[in-house]
Amino acid sequence: MKRSIVLTVGVAALALSRLCIAGPADYVYTPTVEYGEREIDFKAGRANTHDADQSSAASLGFGYGARPHWFTEFYAKYESQGSGPTHFDAWEWENRFQLTDTGEYPVDAGFVVELERPQDHSEGYEVRFGPLFQTDFGKVQLNGNLLFGRHYRAAAGGPMEFGYQWQAKYRWKEAFEFGLQGFGDVGPWDNWDPADEQSRRFGPAVFGKLPVGVHKAIRYNAALLHKASSGAPDNTFRMQVEYEF
Amino acid sequence: MIIVYHLTVMRPILFLALLLPSLCLAAGTEFTVSIRNHQFEPAVLRVPAGKRIKLTVVNRDPTPEEFESYELHREKLIPGNTSGIVYIGPLEAGRYPFFGDFHPKTTTGVVVAE
Repeated sequence: MKRSIVLTVGVAALALSRLCIAGPADYVYTPTVEYGEREIDFKAGRANTHDADQSSAASLGFGYGARPHWFTEFYAKYESQGSGPTHFDAWEWENRFQLTDTGEYPVDAGFVVELERPQDHSEGYEVRFGPLFQTDFGKVQLNGNLLFGRHYRAAAGGPMEFGYQWQAKYRWKEAFEFGLQGFGDVGPWDNWDPADEQSRRFGPAVFGKLPVGVHKAIRYNAALLHKASSGAPDNTFRMQVEYEF
Repeated sequence: MIIVYHLTVMRPILFLALLLPSLCLAAGTEFTVSIRNHQFEPAVLRVPAGKRIKLTVVNRDPTPEEFESYELHREKLIPGNTSGIVYIGPLEAGRYPFFGDFHPKTTTGVVVAE
């Protein structure tokens, strides 16, 4: 009995220590960069699992289109587990690079590189990177991204993990667009977890942009994601609001 | 067996990597629109429907302007006294308004695909 408890705790600790490509507050990256644009970016999310504590995450960031093909953003990230208090979790530096001019080819391409420094320094540094793709079919916009992530200089090292994210949205009106979003974590990039242990979630999403002045706008998107595999939370709500100026 | 497994894992990545250059089609017809005194010249741009258009936006004002169009799904900042390229289409026949986000009341225009 004691041995099984120790084993269970050990497996749970291992699962928690593994890098998760998609957190509850994550969003679907796009490969387009808006040169000269500044933004204040708020993201939040909450994941619920039937027989476990809910986890919440939020971030507040400032971004800037520093070059025609480079957008950089700094975040402060927060999280909470169960009924515990919300606490500072990490600093993050995100960089998106637009590799092709929008619309130049049937598929727009970009690349994202993120560096995260967790407050718990035993987690070392987390690096995430991967290619970003986008295309339009009439009023339908499709995005698909591949993401790789790994901890460096961490007390407990781990393999390079692989995940993906996608979205399809119908550009109905600028203030209100709708579609679907999905996120997946498959495990080590060269040795995927069994399908039923992977984390796959998808669900309906809404998007929009509300002009609030000359060259100022509020942009939003939110999604309610449902589990598509046993390794995913039952439900995840995620949202992002940006003030662009 | 290991090689087969790795090929299975890498297939989607390789597919996307190979897909991109295969889709690099030549640009279609080229057009130019200028911004002067916060107005587009010409304000009505007639382009062929069904073709990818390379649009050069020349900002002759000293202040920046942003070429923006929800209908064309494009936003592009053009700093003062510079030019930028905006690719649009292929478009179905119709009218696609665009404007300058810094001077939305005066910097307006429309692409007419026909």
